[in-house]
Amino acid sequence: MTKSHRENAPITADRLTDELMRLKRGSVTRRHFLGVTGLGLATAVLARQPGLFNSTAFAEDLGTQMSIATWPNYHDPATFEAFKAATGVAVEVNVFGSNEEMLAKLQAGGTGWDLFVPTNYTISTYAKLGLIDELDLSKLPNYDPSTENPRFTNEGIIDGKTYAVPKNWGTTGIAVNSDKIKKPVTSWKDFFEVAITEADGRAMVHDYQLTTIGNALVSLGYSFNSIKPEELAKAEEVLLKVKPHLYAINSDYQPAMRATDAWMTMCWTNDGAQLNRDMPEIQFVLGKDGGEIWSDFYAIPKSAANKPAGYALLNYLMTPENAVKEHVANGAPTTDSRVLKLLPAEVTSNKIVYPDEAALTPLEFGAAVTLTDPGRAELMARFKAA
Amino acid sequence: MRAFISSVYLFLYAPIALVVLFSFNAGRSASEFTGFSTDWYGKALGNTFLVSALQNSLIIAFTSAALAAVFGTMAALGMERLGARMRALFDALFAAAIVVPGVVIGIATLVALVAVFSFLNPALAALWPGDRPPQLGLGYGSIIAAHGLFSMALVTMIVKARIASLGRDIVEASSDLYATPLTTFRLIVLPQILPSILAGFLLAFTFSFDDFIIAFFVAGSKTTLPIYVFASIRRGVTPEINAIATLVLFASLLLILTARILMREKRSKSGE
Amino acid sequence: MRAAMNTKRNLVTAALVAPAAAWLFVFLVLPFVAMLVFAFGERAPEGGYQAAFTFAQFANLPTRATAFWNTLLLAPAGALLCLVVAYPTAYHLAVKANPRYRLILVSLVVVPFWTSLLVRTYAWMYILGSRGIPNLLAMVGIEDVRLLNTPGAVLLGIVYGYLPLMIMPIYVSLEKLDRRLLEASADLGAKPVSTFFGVTLPLSLPGVMTGVALVTILLLGEYLIPQLLGGGKVFFIGNALVDLFLQSRNWPFGSAIAVTLVAVVVVVLMVAMRIAWRVAGTRQVDLV
Repeated sequence: MTKSHRENAPITADRLTDELMRLKRGSVTRRHFLGVTGLGLATAVLARQPGLFNSTAFAEDLGTQMSIATWPNYHDPATFEAFKAATGVAVEVNVFGSNEEMLAKLQAGGTGWDLFVPTNYTISTYAKLGLIDELDLSKLPNYDPSTENPRFTNEGIIDGKTYAVPKNWGTTGIAVNSDKIKKPVTSWKDFFEVAITEADGRAMVHDYQLTTIGNALVSLGYSFNSIKPEELAKAEEVLLKVKPHLYAINSDYQPAMRATDAWMTMCWTNDGAQLNRDMPEIQFVLGKDGGEIWSDFYAIPKSAANKPAGYALLNYLMTPENAVKEHVANGAPTTDSRVLKLLPAEVTSNKIVYPDEAALTPLEFGAAVTLTDPGRAELMARFKAA
Repeated sequence: MRAFISSVYLFLYAPIALVVLFSFNAGRSASEFTGFSTDWYGKALGNTFLVSALQNSLIIAFTSAALAAVFGTMAALGMERLGARMRALFDALFAAAIVVPGVVIGIATLVALVAVFSFLNPALAALWPGDRPPQLGLGYGSIIAAHGLFSMALVTMIVKARIASLGRDIVEASSDLYATPLTTFRLIVLPQILPSILAGFLLAFTFSFDDFIIAFFVAGSKTTLPIYVFASIRRGVTPEINAIATLVLFASLLLILTARILMREKRSKSGE
Repeated sequence: MRAAMNTKRNLVTAALVAPAAAWLFVFLVLPFVAMLVFAFGERAPEGGYQAAFTFAQFANLPTRATAFWNTLLLAPAGALLCLVVAYPTAYHLAVKANPRYRLILVSLVVVPFWTSLLVRTYAWMYILGSRGIPNLLAMVGIEDVRLLNTPGAVLLGIVYGYLPLMIMPIYVSLEKLDRRLLEASADLGAKPVSTFFGVTLPLSLPGVMTGVALVTILLLGEYLIPQLLGGGKVFFIGNALVDLFLQSRNWPFGSAIAVTLVAVVVVVLMVAMRIAWRVAGTRQVDLV
């Protein structure tokens, strides 16, 4: 029997009996049963009503609030409101501009996050440092590894253990306001040239070593992931040259782009799709010379205070019906074939969200070594302090 | 001249007026006015995280200012009785607590606490009889400690200045009349230094309530109001923040006014 | 008997200063020592701190020279700019303003201090951003003016944020000024201008010094204003520090910079006190 992914759909009597029998036989866990039948959520809600379901044999207490660390403009606020309506758990959203910032917070201790969104190349380090838990997949009945595209999801699994499950994939390209900038920008080489000429004072780079240094490397014809000192030194020259001409160094560029304070920026797929949807003059292009392709994951910090709520939200987000709303709102491409089927045609045919395979070929996934390489960390800090 | 003064006040108040204006915005944005509404006040007061951030800030500001007022006053009184060398040492330490930039205080406290915890937590775990040993971490305690440091120095300085200007003869007269030191303190000294203690408390409270940078480092998972506002600026500000800021502004205005009225009453009573 | 009384007196003294002493030791001295130890350590491979004894962090300080220079330049510049705006204001409040409204006017200077500096700075982000003043300029035909994320914006934010702190000490020193001195000066036939430069200004110098020193020292550790109004580009040393702890996770280097910053503050403070002392000295000569 296939697993149902429609958690909110009413379950038929047949299926309920069937699942109940499986539960009794022990071929599924209690959690799977609760998840599939939707009883998990119901009991979770009821369990907080004193006197109704006091037995701890039912779902764990989810508390009343939890916290998620994620990226700017990355979720549909309605998702968290719906989650609160379903479970009574209010979700606090913390926004970060780089994986390094998230890592720094976790290393210093006491983040209070119950769920966070790291990028593919960081997960092995988090696991090695013991900062994240191996996920208990029995608490995530709505996650289905068999429907995930392994190209984007393999980095969540280390030595056969799942530490993180995929959120979505995407690219790092260039958003250009074509009303303001007439010269075509098609590569990172163009980006750094236009930034000191036509877009003087109006271009933005991320406050994020991976993409800012990576794209400067790409503009010179080097690998996005290079940690060779001589190549990094060249990239530093590019960055120091462009710095006086920049509008800002900030990973949250949407407000500035929308206000036309900034005219050109390094840009992630989802932001590109959102900006282009509301302001068609803002175009999103991928560097011909390269750049980043990435996938983001959900993981649970070892230090999380409310893990039950973290799992509950994660399971909620893994439900295709909920995930599809997120994708329509945030404009990032999905890794999950179940979600892909549900997406409307105008999303799947959007070339910003789902570019042609050829445009993706020059792109590189971030490499784990860049996260902890002291040379890149120090270069970024020097660049900002220069 | 008049034009200059007016423009200074305009400069001071234009941004505040803007903050208040947008708290009544009907739209979602804190930068484009689309119509009048008071909805954001309801939303702000219904937002668990915003309200708990406000609560945290109030608790931390009150606790650190109260501790500072008590310990700072005690220190100011005690320093009077110390030898010159010890007094100079205290003076230097309090001065350091005031002039060392907040960002350094935050970092130093973080570094020290993380070092201490990494040593204490395993020790606690080894010695703890049960299976869930307590974990020391950043939070209320660390923020109150770091804020209390600055605040205590502030209170000590203010109260010391007041003590220095106090007439000694009345204290001596009191003890000549066989009042116990405690009675002398209660009846003679305390009433005279109380206004400066209160002033120190209020300043300390304000400092703690508005501090971002120290809390940013040592707050751990606790969110104070400034930390919440900073996070919202990154997330995209909604008029919720404006609403809370407006409420805080009017609450503090009320506080200033009350203080003024109380002081005026006192002054007229004492016949000044 | 006498010894017993002394012991008792000492005990009371000790009890009075003990809590503050403990606080100063645990939350000032100890952290500073920890920071000093960290400054001679090494960055752990994944970031953070690892024990070592090296001067490498201090040798690396020149890479932050720009941030140090920005700070050493913009902090006094900001303080002086504050002074330029604050002095006439304080003078007006203390000398010229109608006594009936004086208290209200003075309170109005303090009130902004009670609203979140963050929120007020955010308001400036809006005023300086392209929907604010540049938008108004565009209406009269001046297109594409950029104000936000410039050193000018940071300076403006500084003046805005610290103006009350500058006005208050100057106001206090001017208010204490004996009005009879001014009248005497006028009676002796001095012009208002020479009365100002000969009497008022010298007497208010302590307030000016306090204000300038206070604002400069606070600015040396500024983080928020350059962060919000400088677009992460106008870098104070405070921003470089935050970056080292919250992004590149180089605790030892960050500690070394923090230690250096404290040294800079101490030097600035000593210079300020030296000047203040000299000013106080000359004032006495003038008076006698």
